[in-house]
Amino acid sequence: MRPPKSLLCLALSILPTAVLAVFADEAGVVDYHYELLGLPKPDTTFFYRPRKEDKASLLYTLSDLGVVGAVNPGTGVPVWRQVLSSGSDSLSNGLLRGVDGDGVVVSALGKTVSAWDAISGRLKWQSKFSGQVRDLEVMESAIVSAEAKDVLALYEDGNKGILRRLTGNGGDLKWEFTDEASGVPFQISTSPKDVFVISLHAAGAGYNLKVTTLDPVTGKKVDEYTLSSKSDIFDIEDILLVGASSAAPILAWTDQAKQEVKVNILGKKAVQNLALREADGKLTKVTLHAPHLPQSQPHFLVFSQSASANRADVYHVDLKSNAITKAYELPKVGGTGTISTSSQDGNVFFTRMTQDEAILVSSASHGVLGRWPLKIDESHGSLLHAASEVVTRSTNLFAVRSAVATSNEDWVMIRNGAESWTRVEGLSGAIVADWAELPGEEQLAATLKAEAQTNPLASYLHRWQRHIQELEYLPAYLTELPKRVMSSIIPVESVTSDELVRDNFGFHKMVIVATQRGRLYGLNAGNRGKVVWSAKAYDIPDDSKWDVKGIWVDNVKGLVNVRGASGEYVLVKALTGQIIEKTSPGSWPPVTSSVVIDSASGKWFLPIGVDGNPGDIPSAWAPKDVLVVQGSNGEVRGLKYMEDGANSVPTAAWTFQPTGEKIINVVAKPAHDPVASIGRVLGDRTVLYKYLNPNTILVTAISETGSSLSMYLLDSVSGDILYSTSHSGVDTKQPITSILTENWFAYSMFGDSAPGTAEDALPLSKGYQLVVTELFESELANDRGPLGSLSNTSSLEPLDIPNAEPAIPHAVSQTFLIPEAISHMSVSETKQGITTRQLLCTLPTTNSIIGILYHIINPRRPVGRDPTPAEMEEGLFRYTPFIDFDPKMILTHKLNVIGIKGVITSPALLESTSLVFAYGIDIFGTRVVPSMAFDILGKGFNRLNLVATVLALQVGVMVLAPMVRRKQINGRWMTS
Amino acid sequence: MSVASIPPPTPPCWVVDLNAPPVSKPKSTAIPDPPGFPVALSGKKQNSSSSKSPATTTTRIAPTTEEMDVLKLKKAWEVALAPVKQLPMTAIMMYMSGNSLQIFSIMMVVMAFKNPVMGLVATNQAFEKFESEGTREKLWQVKGVYVLMQLLALALGVWKVNGMGLLPTTRSDWLAWETARDPLEFAIPAF
Repeated sequence: MRPPKSLLCLALSILPTAVLAVFADEAGVVDYHYELLGLPKPDTTFFYRPRKEDKASLLYTLSDLGVVGAVNPGTGVPVWRQVLSSGSDSLSNGLLRGVDGDGVVVSALGKTVSAWDAISGRLKWQSKFSGQVRDLEVMESAIVSAEAKDVLALYEDGNKGILRRLTGNGGDLKWEFTDEASGVPFQISTSPKDVFVISLHAAGAGYNLKVTTLDPVTGKKVDEYTLSSKSDIFDIEDILLVGASSAAPILAWTDQAKQEVKVNILGKKAVQNLALREADGKLTKVTLHAPHLPQSQPHFLVFSQSASANRADVYHVDLKSNAITKAYELPKVGGTGTISTSSQDGNVFFTRMTQDEAILVSSASHGVLGRWPLKIDESHGSLLHAASEVVTRSTNLFAVRSAVATSNEDWVMIRNGAESWTRVEGLSGAIVADWAELPGEEQLAATLKAEAQTNPLASYLHRWQRHIQELEYLPAYLTELPKRVMSSIIPVESVTSDELVRDNFGFHKMVIVATQRGRLYGLNAGNRGKVVWSAKAYDIPDDSKWDVKGIWVDNVKGLVNVRGASGEYVLVKALTGQIIEKTSPGSWPPVTSSVVIDSASGKWFLPIGVDGNPGDIPSAWAPKDVLVVQGSNGEVRGLKYMEDGANSVPTAAWTFQPTGEKIINVVAKPAHDPVASIGRVLGDRTVLYKYLNPNTILVTAISETGSSLSMYLLDSVSGDILYSTSHSGVDTKQPITSILTENWFAYSMFGDSAPGTAEDALPLSKGYQLVVTELFESELANDRGPLGSLSNTSSLEPLDIPNAEPAIPHAVSQTFLIPEAISHMSVSETKQGITTRQLLCTLPTTNSIIGILYHIINPRRPVGRDPTPAEMEEGLFRYTPFIDFDPKMILTHKLNVIGIKGVITSPALLESTSLVFAYGIDIFGTRVVPSMAFDILGKGFNRLNLVATVLALQVGVMVLAPMVRRKQINGRWMTS
Repeated sequence: MSVASIPPPTPPCWVVDLNAPPVSKPKSTAIPDPPGFPVALSGKKQNSSSSKSPATTTTRIAPTTEEMDVLKLKKAWEVALAPVKQLPMTAIMMYMSGNSLQIFSIMMVVMAFKNPVMGLVATNQAFEKFESEGTREKLWQVKGVYVLMQLLALALGVWKVNGMGLLPTTRSDWLAWETARDPLEFAIPAF
């Protein structure tokens, strides 16, 4: 009669994994994803036709984060993206070129040159050489051939410049030319006949420019000449342009005073000076814009900007006489602006965008071909640089679209002066994030609390008063009522409004994000991560990153506190982004981390200085608890504040530094880590008590010499080691991540898996491993360990016996093999901790985030045997060494979430639900329900059906009631 | 002569029926009444039967009080032992119904508890009719056995509930009332 118990248990154990997946109708509704590229750079952003015969073009960019991508210019949606991993190289000097007519874009970063298919984004070939790529150019040949065009890459290796010609169809080396003379290789330029290598040679304080002409076929040096520019050029930045691949490639620079532009037509030794005119004050920036296609007319534009205005001059190069003549000028306009060049066959067009209009001119004449008023949102800030594409509708009708990077780090597509789409590229490169609560009905809670504290009669009267006052909201409530009733009958999408108010389920929260460019963003997680505000905290130079050492959202005051490594801090209102207070970097001592302290005088954000020294603090502000910090050598230290006069001085209570090892990571339990049940109930109804010591930290240490990994679980009050383990044969270069929560911890690494003794064990092999350890008070069931029935515990004096050993937990550990590396671990948080926890792992190789349920990685899964019925009842199933990352477990489903640095979680008001937010290059947010959504009706619930059933029953009762009544009366009065 | 010889006309059938209604007899009239069977007949019947054969009526000797008491006690014992007679049947049904929570097993459990408890509450009522001067003393014993038997039936119910895992007898049932130990010191992780 009964189904076999084993079958039932198997079904139960499989059930959660089979059902717990992202539902198709929830994907894209519950979760949100910003597919970001990073800020586009001016010289690596362009429109390009991936198919020669097709007029449609895509917008290609290589961003400051080293992401190559193609964006659909019509919608602003990325077509494909690739992350160029560069290791330790600076990401900002990447290069990107489109191979005209081949449907290939070539990128270079660090040592690597890669060619990507322009439509699909697939890698065509990749070549690595020693040195650093300084410039990249596509070899334009005069003869049209079917073969793919070759690529020239200029490397800097030591002090030598090496030019390498790589074949277009495989990236193989065709020839290389080494410039033996010491100098800084700078750029390449090609003309149909020659290849020019421009290098900088130090001469006194400045640099002279050396131009070497090479034969493109053999790579032999043909000629070389030096231009004396030592009084003008002191930095690579001073060179304006090396006109690439045009009919007459030019080399241009300005003098230091920005009085004139000096131009050399490459291959000719003469330098021509072109005077610059001031535009309302001294020029701050001069840029030169020239077409890149070989068939384009040899025209260029000099764009001069001052602080308050800008103007432009267009010059023509006479190919026969090599004379440079000024053709016309674009008048001075106030404010900032951009110029972008686009070429169409031989024609060259310049698009000039100023604060209130966009104009299109041809390089040949000064006639304005198109003029559009500029209508873009003010929040974007001023325009920085643009890439444009011009379409000729008819002889005199032109359309232009420009992708403009703005000062507020947005990327805006402007089509004929009107905003077409906006990408919030500034949001990319997030380094820290934190949750902020929205203001809710705290007032009512406060009133209720106040009422509870006064005497019953007064509070009763007060309550009456309050209810009478509340009557004024009654009309509004009544008008709202039909809508509310309807919304509860007909299921609507979860309320996504721009309003920043709490909802009943606690899904509406803010996320505050700080990016490496010094900008802060406030996102509304309740409205699919919409950007509510953004504020520039600090201007960070292009080649450095903002190093944030702590973010803390004070939900009582509604303030966000961000501390940087140089001692700077900024206070921002969480809801509006208004900067309340800001200090400049360097005005305070450097900070290595920061922590929220709950002192006698209130909560505050304590910066920890160099070597883990928080410094002296006034006694009223000092924490009474032990502060755990990390010293400069990685050692972990427990600090106790001792009162010394008016100030309190930190004194080391304990120090932990394993000999011969280097501590690489320390993790503590999440700040919000509630535990609903203090024991695990076994199948036979006995209890294994969880080891729930809040003062534990997990230390990851690697050996300095060998390749071993040690994990230490410390009591952070006493510094005692509670548990330790070590693994040999670990690749310490691979990511080693760990997490500590509730009564278990997990870590992952790449290392040896020891051969097991069981018959189904694997032989010795290397692989990615996930180790899970669960801690119990005692190995015996129904036993509370050495502390027995004590109701409180002290880490310093665990028992009444003097010098007693600390209560050591019983650890159950298990290792699982996983298919790929985990770069970051996080754990879901719920309000009361009833819901089982879900391990959230970032998978960098597949660009996804996976949610692993605890019952899969439960270390108590029976090894080498089938589970007993009691174990099956508990949900344990047989241990298998390999955990497959089932696509159903991937929280990011089909999305490609790149460059995730961190994942933060926050409890919703619903116990079943935890909010998840991942940041890095991309932004991704979702909600997870590890134990299924047990406290909310699903979308499948048919409310209409329920209401219809109730109504039908009502009708039935109304019809039947008189009939029954009549029958009952008749029963009494009629005998037969 | 003929006239004189004509006997008086027989009364119509219905008159006969009216005067002598059929005696509602048991089907086999041949079996005599057991000795001491109280002849409790209607007045009409009594009349007719007494007129028919007054000799056959044996006067029943009323039992003495002692005899009555013995009889009452016997009956009381039967009542006292009645619950235990159902027990094997109940036990088998409980075993068959399984330990899962289903409507049938739940009903079984409810009945297994309701019957003994109701029986216990109505102990005195159950023995009221056996109560007399002579039996009062001895009934105490009987009542005691009755209560024991009801408790036995109750125990069966408890056994069943235990089998269903509804009794809070294990540590896990009291886990919710146990609390984690409060740490006396706290550490603030700042790294």
